[in-house]
Amino acid sequence: MPWKDGYTTSDEKTLADRDITWPDRHQCAFVLVVDLSVASRPEGITPSDLTTPSSQFGAQVGLPSLLEVLKRFGISATFATPAVMAELDPEIIGTILAEGHEVAAHGFKHEDVSQLSREEERSRIEAATDSLTRITGQRPAGWYSLPRQRDPFAVGTVSPHTIELLIAAGYTYMGNGLADDIPYYWVADVDTRSSLLTLPYYYHFDDQFFLMFPPPGLGSGLENPKPFLTNCLQEFDAQHQRGRYFSMVLHPHIIGFGHRMRLLETILSHVQEASGVWNPTASQCAHYWQTHYPADSVLHLEPSIWKDYPGSLS
Amino acid sequence: MTGKATLDLQALREAVQVYRARYVHLDDFTYPPGTRIAVNLTLDFDTMLRRRFSHEPIMQLAKGEFGGRVGIWRLLELFESHAVKATLFTPGRICELYPQALAAALEAGHEIADHMWEHQVPADPDLEYDHLVKSTEALERFTGRRPVGTRSSHTAAFLKQLGYLYRSDGVADHLPYYVADAKGENMLLNLPFHYAIDDAMFFNFGWIESGPSGQRLADPESVLEMWWEAFERLYDQGSYLNICLHPFISGRALRIAMLDRLITKMNAIPGVWFPTCEELARYCLAHYPPPSNSP
Repeated sequence: MPWKDGYTTSDEKTLADRDITWPDRHQCAFVLVVDLSVASRPEGITPSDLTTPSSQFGAQVGLPSLLEVLKRFGISATFATPAVMAELDPEIIGTILAEGHEVAAHGFKHEDVSQLSREEERSRIEAATDSLTRITGQRPAGWYSLPRQRDPFAVGTVSPHTIELLIAAGYTYMGNGLADDIPYYWVADVDTRSSLLTLPYYYHFDDQFFLMFPPPGLGSGLENPKPFLTNCLQEFDAQHQRGRYFSMVLHPHIIGFGHRMRLLETILSHVQEASGVWNPTASQCAHYWQTHYPADSVLHLEPSIWKDYPGSLS
Repeated sequence: MTGKATLDLQALREAVQVYRARYVHLDDFTYPPGTRIAVNLTLDFDTMLRRRFSHEPIMQLAKGEFGGRVGIWRLLELFESHAVKATLFTPGRICELYPQALAAALEAGHEIADHMWEHQVPADPDLEYDHLVKSTEALERFTGRRPVGTRSSHTAAFLKQLGYLYRSDGVADHLPYYVADAKGENMLLNLPFHYAIDDAMFFNFGWIESGPSGQRLADPESVLEMWWEAFERLYDQGSYLNICLHPFISGRALRIAMLDRLITKMNAIPGVWFPTCEELARYCLAHYPPPSNSP
């Protein structure tokens, strides 16, 4: 009998607000993620994705503007980087690192791995890791599998093997999971208690689902900056009050335009004015969590009481 | 009117007469003195269990997992802080997935009601009955009491047979009403909830196979404003409001903050009653019983 297999990926209960502390008595953590993918389809980044005015805008205008704003506000970010994007433009990766940001892996080409064989997925993780290691000069600590705008579910795609393959490849954190709003352990194998620290993601704090969304061909392309702004500000305030964690995801080709940059400045000003905000990169946050809340001590792994019945889900 | 048109109209009239005869609306309904409105806070505690049938991806299931791990606990804290009671419509299998949270809800005095064994009603009647019995018994074993309410489309005859007093599904009136099944039998009390007062309609991406083109992502502020306007109107009329919340949606910190503001506003005016669905159902059954000739 598998451990609540297919239903839960971690413990039955989260850590209570009162049990969470951040370094140097900070009140909450703020992790900013920049997604460098322009993939529109499950196959990942294709030549047609890269040869659009939007992609050109992201690389030439959006990204430099975003880096400028981050520098001006003194914010560290984590760049979820498909290996092919780093290969195509290694210089910008150097700039990102030089400005104190983190470069994490975001697939080989941000492909959907859920239908791949275990071996094929393993070799892609290896290729992406090798590529980013060579270009950045160090092994990426984190791996992302963020959603694409046209995905049927705004959650990101993984396979049943992804977490164990990432552990085997030496990754120390998975960048996006939805089972909590603080870092949590995603259990790969309950018998060996192997797990991978996972940082929270939620599509309500991801620019691509509010700004000209649904995308052309799928819907009417509604521009909803205010709901996006309100969601980010209210979640930040609520999580700050609870002493937890807030993370948002930005895409240079989306957030980089006109009024949207102003929206970002409003959010960053708000974060800046709040007291006791710790702004680590994702790997700094993961390192802190693994040191202060190691899986060995916080992961309970309650025994399953799930039963099999005829005519019911197994 | 010519022959064909007359026949068309007659068919429509017969259909609507048969349909309307199934309903008993409570036109003279009033609350006990001092109460102007009953507000039922109802949690659909399904953690997206249903998505297993659709073979949805792992991350999507983790979205539901948030409800069991995090969201439910926050909602329980919220209700406690306002001293209000809620009803948890709970699939029987949640007893196996989230026993700690369910025990905490029970301890706090909330009602545990049925929400289908595995968040679906099987098409085959034998299997449907089997599922309803399993869910009813699982909840009874867990709580020590047989559930008396359901949020489901389960067959009314089965619900009556198993002792259910009410259903909360569909909205043929603002107020609670009675409805019989298609044969005009098995009349059951319904506590209506409207999809416009359902968090999943505003905050959940990809509601039941809707995909990106059908997305509807709102912010808490606009929903708060809408729900408050609905509440004010219904309060003025001495009516009823059922607020449907999913722990994996409303348990997010920004929405707990929004619900905190909403309940605070409601509690600040006189005559707002937050019963469990069972309490309200028993009030209706005692004071506005179904017609004595009802099936």
